[in-house]
Amino acid sequence: MNRFIKLVSLLLALCLVLAAVPFAYAEDEVIDAELTCTITLGNWPPDTAADAEKALFEGYRATMARQYPNVTLVPDYYSYSLSNYVPMAKGHTAPSIFQPPFTDPQLLISQGLVGDVTDALEQFGVLDQFSPSYVEMLADENGRIYGLPRDGYVLGMHINIDLFREAGLMTEDGLPMYPRTLQEMAEYGQIIREKTGKAGLVFPASETYGGWLFTNIAWNFGCVGENALEYQDEDGRWVCNFTSPECVAAMEFIRDLKWKYDILNADATTTDWAGAHSLLGTGEAAMNFAADDSVDQPTANKGLPVDSFALIPFPAGPEGRYALAGGTCYMFSPDITGDQAIALMAYLKVLGKLPFLDDEIIAGMRADYAAKRDRGAPVLPAISAWTDESYNAAKQAIIDEYCNVDMRLYNDFFDSISEGTITLKSEEPIFAQQLYRELTAVVQRVITREGADVTKALLKAEESFQEYLDDEYNDQ
Amino acid sequence: MKKAVYSGVIREYDMHSASVRVGYAIIVLLCLLMTVVALFPLVWVILAGFKDLKEFMSSTSLLPASFSLNAYVLTWTQLDIARNYLNSSISVAGSVVCAIVFNGLLGYGLGILRPRGYSVVKKLVMLSLLLPTTISIVPLFMNIQKLNLGNSFLPLWLSFGANAMYVVLFVQFFESLPRSIIEAGHIDGASQLQTFFRIVLPLSKPICAVISIFAVNAAWSDFLLPYLVLRGASMQTVMVRLFVFSTEQTVNADAMMRSVVFSMIPPIILFFIFQKQLTENAVSVGIKG
Amino acid sequence: MSGARGLESAKAWLIMLPSLILMTFFVWEPLFESVRMSLYKTRNVELVRFIGLENYLSVMKKDDFLQALTNTFSYTFWSLLIGFLLPIVLAILIGETRRGKGFFRTVAYLPNMLPGLAVVILWSSFFSGGPTGVLNILLSTFGIPPQTYLTRADWVIPIIILIATWKGAGATALIYMASIAGISPELYEAATIDGANVGQRIFHILLPAIRKLTGTLLILQIISVFQIMYEPMVLTKGGPDNASLSLMQLMWQYAFGGSMNYGKASAVAVIVTIILLLMTAVYSYFNRRESDWE
Repeated sequence: MNRFIKLVSLLLALCLVLAAVPFAYAEDEVIDAELTCTITLGNWPPDTAADAEKALFEGYRATMARQYPNVTLVPDYYSYSLSNYVPMAKGHTAPSIFQPPFTDPQLLISQGLVGDVTDALEQFGVLDQFSPSYVEMLADENGRIYGLPRDGYVLGMHINIDLFREAGLMTEDGLPMYPRTLQEMAEYGQIIREKTGKAGLVFPASETYGGWLFTNIAWNFGCVGENALEYQDEDGRWVCNFTSPECVAAMEFIRDLKWKYDILNADATTTDWAGAHSLLGTGEAAMNFAADDSVDQPTANKGLPVDSFALIPFPAGPEGRYALAGGTCYMFSPDITGDQAIALMAYLKVLGKLPFLDDEIIAGMRADYAAKRDRGAPVLPAISAWTDESYNAAKQAIIDEYCNVDMRLYNDFFDSISEGTITLKSEEPIFAQQLYRELTAVVQRVITREGADVTKALLKAEESFQEYLDDEYNDQ
Repeated sequence: MKKAVYSGVIREYDMHSASVRVGYAIIVLLCLLMTVVALFPLVWVILAGFKDLKEFMSSTSLLPASFSLNAYVLTWTQLDIARNYLNSSISVAGSVVCAIVFNGLLGYGLGILRPRGYSVVKKLVMLSLLLPTTISIVPLFMNIQKLNLGNSFLPLWLSFGANAMYVVLFVQFFESLPRSIIEAGHIDGASQLQTFFRIVLPLSKPICAVISIFAVNAAWSDFLLPYLVLRGASMQTVMVRLFVFSTEQTVNADAMMRSVVFSMIPPIILFFIFQKQLTENAVSVGIKG
Repeated sequence: MSGARGLESAKAWLIMLPSLILMTFFVWEPLFESVRMSLYKTRNVELVRFIGLENYLSVMKKDDFLQALTNTFSYTFWSLLIGFLLPIVLAILIGETRRGKGFFRTVAYLPNMLPGLAVVILWSSFFSGGPTGVLNILLSTFGIPPQTYLTRADWVIPIIILIATWKGAGATALIYMASIAGISPELYEAATIDGANVGQRIFHILLPAIRKLTGTLLILQIISVFQIMYEPMVLTKGGPDNASLSLMQLMWQYAFGGSMNYGKASAVAVIVTIILLLMTAVYSYFNRRESDWE
């Protein structure tokens, strides 16, 4: 029955698409010649980007020029970081559109540093199609919308199959025998270390990454619910808790990865996100905690062939099986006018980020997937941010056409999400970056000092972060 | 300039002693060791630039597998280094002019004209010498934004016109100039400004050369303020690009090493052209014991 | 005071005016603004309300401040240990060479011309752990197994100082050389007649002659190493476990590291400024009579 509905909706969507082609979206269709404004577009592909990607964005620009002849697009290579954004927003030089991670929208909204696009979304008739969790992330308390999801991700694990093969960790089907639990991860990592001499696991523990990855491990050790790393008490005060037995056990596990199993890469404390992908991609490490949205990193960018690469679910811990879910969104300069807001929604529509499919968008998707396939990046199902089912089904049909990987190397990851065998959990709710910073310091301590007192280090971090919470929130 | 006579502690007559000769041999060996330590990292990074990512991450050999220039050429074109060179040159040229004119004029005022109350300013300048500019980079950036000077080289150029160290060097030099020459110009009816450009500056070639070289080097190497000011990729300088690469992780480790090489080539060329001025004049003018 | 002289003064001020405007815009006003911001509760770059010294107290009671303060003094200590004597030794060594002096001088100065950021990135490869790090490759030829460097809390500051010394020591050595070259050879020859050997000549003639310069360069070095920031930022991000976090880096973190607390960032900046001023005051107290400045 369920399958029947899926099939019907898929067919329906395809019919709609086909029907739309000759009538609604004829070539050179002008949608609004009256709309006159200039928008600056952050994250325009830099010169270092692949030619295909640059061509893709030039295509978007051409489409916009046809549909909205009086909207001027100014490419900006701006890449968001909280530190560089704030002075720009204050100085009125922020680009009209930019892409912050999901940790920041609430902060930016509460400080009045981003623009409201609610009315523009209503004009496009998509206001009610967000998945509710995104609305929560991107709206203020009055329900005004300040951002749109770009793409979501779920944290899992990247695998270098070559090293698994070399270590003899393969099933009879020729698939890597991957770890289902953190304990297995440690043991397999040890086998890989012994058989190949390479690191079993790369653990990027620089700046805030270590704490970020640690939160997911801590959840799987039971740091959720009443043991959560941070929670709001009955008086509305935020309280952090790093010294629960669960959290201590999780940190002791990290310590053991270094001192008992010895599976970590040599310079974990200075390894960053790109460094971790480099190590996995060049065969210096076998496993890396990373998400489905960065599968192009070890493959296309660092040179690992797609058939030597697999994506698996985040390993379960003794007390749970969670995977961190997050993403990137589009947000807008606080200075945008109503016209600019509409032009920006039109631009996002051309990019295929609104739940519409027309021939331009389908062509865009095809070009995108073809480019990925040409670069040697895996073309994978996307985790949708919209609730429109026919849209989602039609999109999947196109992805399937370009699929360049053995889906057996990815199915467990996607099935664990769709079947709910893994629980998705978004980042810790408040001051996540500072929490990561504090926890990273502890991670660095326990993996650089063999005799480090785990409880004491966690207690120190807890006190420090509690002070931060009091200063920045509780005592305001 | 007088030709320096040999002025070492070890005199000619000491060399007759065997132990001094051994000691001298050790000195020469240590100097050779210093040469190796100073040059090896440079040689290594150039060699590393020939490696691809896989080789860079995995190889335990200092020498690359091949000496094909392809990797360098690819990085040069892909990252459009030529344009960054051009941007850096624009930034450097304006900075040098501002460094000479504005600091020179202030040094002229404080060192030669000395109007009533000048010593307050002199003390302020002296005090600023001790303070890192990074400390106030946030309010400075806000000032630049308020005047709408973002995405322009102008604030970078002008920032070199407000350098306490250069002012102090000018003042020290001007104070050593014979006052009679300057006063003679004055009696001839030249205005103060004419005196500066016709008499003082021509007499100040050594100090101008030194400050120019300092300013070229500083303007080329600077990246924090340029990073905040020059946002568009079309205006980014070489060092801003390098900073962006290292913080935003958009470039692979092997291409990063080649970018490091590209960022070092112009200062090295400059160094070999002006090494005499640098190693002889710059030092003696720079700090007076 | 005659009118003509007053007019001359006014003209002189007019000549200095553009430069003074620039100094105000780029140096003095931002510094003043930093002090002001440090006394306010801030929301981004807006001043919300005056809170006196609250930012200072809040910053100083945190563990990371104490750690950064200790580290900064540790940077200074190592910089004096490694970076202070080396240039003097190099200056004497190069000064004694009879052939190739120009060459050695050039080589010594060369690293100082290289952009600091590029130098730090270059050296990060030397100190990377595992068998592919450059230093480990060199050590392996002596049969020493691969070490890790930047992950060791007790090594990381000396390593960062080593890198800074590699870049700066030669240039400082040249300053000493200029001063040493000013010593009249007759002094050495006279000492020889009194029976002084080479070592005694160095200790009794050469070193006393550069004593004053040594003092000046010492204070300049302390001031500059106290502001160390981008080296640990690029190499270690302040890690492991804040072991290389410097005060200026802490300031950067408050301002740009996620919390956007410019008030607290300014408080750290002002504290650094005060420490620098204090050290300079102590220095000039001991050097009052020798100072060129008033």
